[in-house]
Amino acid sequence: MTTKDIGPKGPAGQVADGAVDYVEDRTGAKTGISWFLFRNIPKETSWFQTLGFAAMAVFGLQAITGIVLAMYYKPAPDAAYASIQHITHDVTWGWLVRGMHKWGATAMIVLVFLHMGRVFLFGSYKYPRELTWVTGAILLILTMFMGLTGYLLVWDEKAYWATVVAMNITASAPILGPFVADIMRAGSDMNPDTLSRFYSIHMLVIPGGIATFIGLHMFLVAKLGISEPPWSKRSYKARYEAEAAARAAARARAPQGRREVTAAPAAPVANAEVER
Amino acid sequence: MKKAQQEAYKRDYAQAKKEGKPFFPYAIYKDHIVAILCFAWIIGMAIWHRVEVGRPIYEATTDFVPRPEWYFFFLFELLKIFKGDNFLTPVIMATFIVPNVLMALLILTPFIDRSPERRIEKRPFAMAVAIIIFTSLAWLTYKGATSEAPAAGALKFTPSDANTEIAARVIKQEPCLSCHVIGASGGSLGPNLNNIGSQGKGVQWHIDHLKNPSSKVPGSAMPAFAALSEPDLKALATVMDGMGTKYKVD
Repeated sequence: MTTKDIGPKGPAGQVADGAVDYVEDRTGAKTGISWFLFRNIPKETSWFQTLGFAAMAVFGLQAITGIVLAMYYKPAPDAAYASIQHITHDVTWGWLVRGMHKWGATAMIVLVFLHMGRVFLFGSYKYPRELTWVTGAILLILTMFMGLTGYLLVWDEKAYWATVVAMNITASAPILGPFVADIMRAGSDMNPDTLSRFYSIHMLVIPGGIATFIGLHMFLVAKLGISEPPWSKRSYKARYEAEAAARAAARARAPQGRREVTAAPAAPVANAEVER
Repeated sequence: MKKAQQEAYKRDYAQAKKEGKPFFPYAIYKDHIVAILCFAWIIGMAIWHRVEVGRPIYEATTDFVPRPEWYFFFLFELLKIFKGDNFLTPVIMATFIVPNVLMALLILTPFIDRSPERRIEKRPFAMAVAIIIFTSLAWLTYKGATSEAPAAGALKFTPSDANTEIAARVIKQEPCLSCHVIGASGGSLGPNLNNIGSQGKGVQWHIDHLKNPSSKVPGSAMPAFAALSEPDLKALATVMDGMGTKYKVD
């Protein structure tokens, strides 16, 4: 790119440059951000490789609508139901924010599962991305727990009894099960503290966990690179060229008068070479 | 994967990266298009399907299914398959073994499948696992979505006595029918109770079970009804112990 000298920068430009240099000198933020944004990725990426970002974006939307809902919601057994009614019927656009939070939860679950399916079918969890998959699996489980804890907060009949059953399922697990269930319920049964405990887990504990693991997951994705679809033209070409080179090498080693025939079915010698 | 294969992959990927293009803007523009479509879907659904407020908790109603969000339907449907009716269907399968095996398999996938092959058409076993898990989850979710709420109504026991009167009242006031079939209607989360007396567990077993279900049926997801009064418990347990033998519901 050619640049044209149009004279020194104005005072505002100088201050901005100075500020950028100041931060860069002390944090390396400019280098880091340029590395993150302008690192190369394989040329052919699929539209299915956008699902992870979409899940993260929906998590951001859930955080925003969740913050708004928390401004009106009251996590006490005798007030929760009325505050849900208040949000749904009285608060300006409250129905929309609550609806977005509800449908956002559905969208996030669907996106997380589709993203997992994409990674599975592309074989992207293989070397060197095994630990990226593990952080992703933990994110999926955390997202499911988000749904479980958030569902009780509407404090209606269906949600209450479903949570009773779900907590009994948790408690039935050997060894740790009863302890986990007691910690979540704030006791051995559903009680007035259960709701505020679910509220705290839903609003503080799991979002913190999800944010942490999204950070780790993203770091690994950026560091290891976005995987290339296994059927990309480049990888087919590279595979074809590697096989052709192996055949050529086999031909070169074969004694005079016993040249390999390249077309299938290849002789066992050639096959062994290709696999190696 | 062998060391040589790992190195071959790294070389190949480095080449792909070298021939590639920058993340910004070539990947991130696609990401944003899909994310914006998702946001539009969420807002559209929120407008189209207005959220409702369900019924409050402490109303004595039985005509509902205790049902979680749709993405847990498969777990609740597992409960309907493994009810502990016989030794082949222990509840613990649904409440612990199946979910945890699935979770462990999920986390351990990259350590189980270590072949370097990535093309799905060359991985028939992985493809089969994906299809089986996907179809069973989809089928269980569909079953959960289409299960119907039981009809509320008074139960008529024959022969009728003081115990059955109490039992009918308690069954109506507690959400028993949400999970159990008694008479003609009820949910299918728990076992059908019409013939439960023929198991001959005894009255005391039923009292203990109502107070703390998992102490009698390991892995049971049934709520404890310890808050019921002693006479109510005793009457209900007596009726349960006689269901199908002494008592019938018309």
